[in-house]
This record gives sequence, structure tokens and C-alpha cells, in this order.
Amino acid sequence: MALRELSSLEKYLGLKKPNKYSTQGDKKVPVLQNVNGPPLVGLVTVACHLVREAKRPELLGDCAESRAVVQQWLEYRVTKLDGCTREDVKTILKDLNLYLQDKVYMAGNRFTLADTFMFYGIHPLIVDLAVQEKEQYVNVTRWFDHIQHYPGIRHPLPPVVVLRNKIYSSKHH
Amino acid sequence: MKLFVSEGNPHCLKVLAALEVTGVHCDVQYVNHDERVVPFLSRPAVPALLLPSGLHLFSPNAICRYLFEVSGQDSSELCSRWLEWEATDLQPALLQSLHLAVLQGKGSEVSKVLQGPLNYMEQSLRKGNTPYLTGEAVSVADVVLWAALYPVLSDSSLALGECTSVKAWFDRGAVMHSCAAQKVLQGKGLQGMKSFMQRQPAPQSSQCRDAQPCNSN
Repeated sequence: MALRELSSLEKYLGLKKPNKYSTQGDKKVPVLQNVNGPPLVGLVTVACHLVREAKRPELLGDCAESRAVVQQWLEYRVTKLDGCTREDVKTILKDLNLYLQDKVYMAGNRFTLADTFMFYGIHPLIVDLAVQEKEQYVNVTRWFDHIQHYPGIRHPLPPVVVLRNKIYSSKHH
Repeated sequence: MKLFVSEGNPHCLKVLAALEVTGVHCDVQYVNHDERVVPFLSRPAVPALLLPSGLHLFSPNAICRYLFEVSGQDSSELCSRWLEWEATDLQPALLQSLHLAVLQGKGSEVSKVLQGPLNYMEQSLRKGNTPYLTGEAVSVADVVLWAALYPVLSDSSLALGECTSVKAWFDRGAVMHSCAAQKVLQGKGLQGMKSFMQRQPAPQSSQCRDAQPCNSN
């Protein structure tokens, strides 16, 4: 999964030569050999490296605050989203829904790497949601739908249908 | 800017140590373990940093990185790599170790749980042959890892054995975070974390639970 995400990111960034990755350990952590130093290990580390290589630093945040926010959500992706239990899923969606209430993107008003990797990480959770649940997490699904239509991001994941009009009354909640 | 911390919470060691090393000015407020500081999180998350923009940072590593950046020290790729490893590999082992040592009184089993991560650090330090994790100077990676390991490595019952480079590296940081340790652990060592640990869910990686599903009988 991680390797597929990295190759999607390479395409999005327009990097001409695809990198060859290896993996490490049971969790198949991606490793990229690096000519300028020790190998780069870990999804977040490799992804941030690719962004710098493509000279798109704004994808890591445009000021100290947003850079910290981006790193925080990238870390959240690999520590909380990956390997979350069924019980965790509800808490994660509820928290994200509240967080995204007043935001267009994960780090505020600009698209960043945090959107890309939170999107890949949350995709399997959203696929499993019933229509009624999607309505419950309306801010998450709005953000999700926005990102899946963002040019060059969704591929090769299947699109998820998100209804824009409510079909259930919210009175029961 | 305001930093929220709680006593006896090992994650707060990181941010207090980073504050001390960087010299960044920031209000520090002590709260209870259960206090909900970050409005959008349903579980209490301390430490948390309220940024000037009104956003909250709830990841201790992101807070440390931010404090270093505003003091003029950007994190290198090597730093990022250590921070990611700390969050994904070391933390699960540490959580299990603290659970064993603080709540179950099985301090003797801690070294077994930590052996893998400590060997990894030992190899990296030997290969790099530098006093600190990322080179000749202290970086955010050192501060985060010193603070993460402080509760277990400062406890005399854990022998570092063959990990001589880890020991030498850890001793370089002792002076710097002794103050943070006083503030967070109140000089009580591992027992200073008891009330915090009691509020944490049992570690998922607990091996006996994985080996024996509850319906096996």
C-alpha cells in the first residue's frame, strides 16, 4: 500500500524517473536509497523527500505553523490511522469531522501533503461507511470528495460515491 | 502561544525539554490528565500547543519540531527520519515497557521489550560515529528521543548492556532534561507516572494477548 501511494505521489509531482523502493520489517516500511546520505526510511520521510526533490516545498506548508500542522497529520496517518481498530474508527471520524468543520484542507486553506496521505489512509474507512454514516460525518465526506476530485490524487484508488443531498433526516441523532 | 502539560505524563518531557533547549518563550499551563485541551479531540491529548493562529498542535513531536523551527533550527531529513521512527517503532515498545514497569511491577521484562529498538539506535550511532543522532550538534531528534527514553533509561534497574554508544549518547543529554524530569516526574522516577499510566489503554502489541485470542478456550 505504502509503495503504491509513493508512486502515485511521484506521478502527481511529475517526477520523471520513478524511484525503486525496498521495504523493511513486518510492517513493510518503505526504504529509498539516497545517493547523498543514509537511506530514507518511512512513508512520511520518503514522501517529504520527494516533495523537496520536486521543488514543491509549499506542499509541506507555507509557514512554520502550517508546516507543523502538516507534520502532525502525517504522523497521525502513520500512527493512528494505520492499523486502527474498529472501535477507533468511530472516534477518528468523529474527531476529524469536528476538526474539518471550519477548514477546506487539513492544514487550513491550502492543499498540502497532509491531504494526500490522510486521503489515502482514510479511503478504506470511507469505502466501508453506509450512506447514513457518511451523512453523520458530513465534513469528512465533503473534504474527502474534494480531495478525490483534486487533479492527480485519487488514482489508482476507486472513486467513492458521496451524496450531496441528505436523504436521511438528522433528527434521530 | 500556550503550552499545556500535565504532571507524570512522559510525553510532556519532550516538549518541556525542547522549550528549554530552544529558549522559546511560551506560557506553560499545568492541567489534569483528563482535561480536554484540544477542542476537536474526544480523548484528552496533553501536551498540546495553542498556536498564535488559534490552531492546536497535539503531537509532541510536531510541537518540538515547531519550537526548533521558530528558534531558527530547521529539521533535516535525518531528523525527520528519527522522529518518524520514534513515533511508529519506539513509542509502541515504550508504551508496553512503561505499562509493564509502572503498573504491573515487571520492570525486569522491560529490557526484553526494548532490546530491538535500542539495538537499532546502537547500530545507527556506531555507523554515524557522531556524538548526536544527526551529527555534531544537538537536534530536535536528540531531544525527542532523550525525553522519550528518559523514564526507562534513567531507571537504574534497566541495564543497557552492550549498547555502549546509546549509553554515551544518553549521558550527553542528562543535564539538559534533568529539569524537565523534575517538572514532569517530580523526582519520583517511574512511579511519578502511575496515575497517568492508569488512564491509558493497555498496549495493543501485548504479545500474550496476540498469541491467545480470548475465545480460544
